[in-house]
Amino acid sequence: MAYTPQYGPGTSTVAENRRKQMNPNNKLEKVRDVTDEDVVLILGHRAPGAAYPTAHPPLAEAGEPDCPIRKIVTPTEGAKAGDRVRYIQFADSMFNAPSQPYQRTYSYSYRFRGIDPGTLSGRQIVECRERDLEAYSKFLLETEMFDPARCSVRGATVHGHSLRLAEDGMMFDMLQRCLLTGDGNVKYVKNQIGEPLDREVNVGKPMDEGWLKAHSTIFHSLVGVPYRDDQEYVEYVQRIHSLRTKYGFMPKE
Amino acid sequence: MTEASYPQCRIVPLRMLKPETAERLLNSIVKVCGIRRMLVNGPRLPATVPYGPARGKPNPHSARRVITVGDTEVELQVQVGQVVLEVEDRGVIEEVRSVCDEFFTEIPYTLQEGIFMKTKPSLVDYAKYGPGADESVIGLTDPGKKGGLVILQGLK
Repeated sequence: MAYTPQYGPGTSTVAENRRKQMNPNNKLEKVRDVTDEDVVLILGHRAPGAAYPTAHPPLAEAGEPDCPIRKIVTPTEGAKAGDRVRYIQFADSMFNAPSQPYQRTYSYSYRFRGIDPGTLSGRQIVECRERDLEAYSKFLLETEMFDPARCSVRGATVHGHSLRLAEDGMMFDMLQRCLLTGDGNVKYVKNQIGEPLDREVNVGKPMDEGWLKAHSTIFHSLVGVPYRDDQEYVEYVQRIHSLRTKYGFMPKE
Repeated sequence: MTEASYPQCRIVPLRMLKPETAERLLNSIVKVCGIRRMLVNGPRLPATVPYGPARGKPNPHSARRVITVGDTEVELQVQVGQVVLEVEDRGVIEEVRSVCDEFFTEIPYTLQEGIFMKTKPSLVDYAKYGPGADESVIGLTDPGKKGGLVILQGLK
């Protein structure tokens, strides 16, 4: 019988949203348009329109050794061209941001190829070849995994995920990389490391509270779904905890 | 330094305040008589980028600006998250509460009583101010920073 991944336990909307993001067969809803040039500007790794700097010659010219693994694994576009490895890092507010660091890493691992994610409590960084990174970043910014107010692209100085929101609903950012403008759109005025941009980059309007709560992937007893309300999730975590604790004693269920 | 006989309270709004809102809030609080010391607290907004590849570059931020409290200009260096007050007696806290009840109509807030200011000089305070430090200064400013405290004037 073919194995069908379950992606995660739980009966709550949070659990369902987590599964939706992780399942690569589930097409995530596209909620905004961000152009390729905008993505390049926010990332700040190269000037828009500039050629991709390379770390090594293209694989076609490199004369690769005879290796069985290289025959099995198809290189990504970035690897084929010999691009540099670059990064994007997201900070996600605990107040019902549509994705969260661990959730991002799980989802990226199911959906993307050739990545090296790094997961921390309030931020998540992913490294990969530059042109792959731009494609992945565009996907991450345009789909329901991103909200302009509660998620933020922050290469450095990420503090804010666990703080109270600002009056206008934006997550605190010491560097104020993006602003909620008068027309209701969030615009990036600095790239992800805090260098001013030549022009503003529009990433659309923040989603409303109802949408955020319905698309949240974090349990939150005050503003969202409390963890203890999802009995199946609690049982699963308790089971894992129990098995890990007893592991040295060769547990048999 | 804090005497045990002076009560303290802190005002914590559910959202962090814009400078304009903070200015209005502080101006309505300082009208209450009997406030000895006041501390505006929140995450810092540095003038230059503190970390990362852009370290040292200017950091323009709309929330870091000069506000006027009473007749005194105060440079906000933080996004206002809470306001800590030391008052003459507990009756003043009730007056502050009534001011806050009128002020916070859109954002919920909590007003807590307790000890929220430093009660003893720390090692860093000793290094900066020495053994004969003015006790009313301790805990009001970050001893590692150059800026001092502000004395509010023009309240009468």
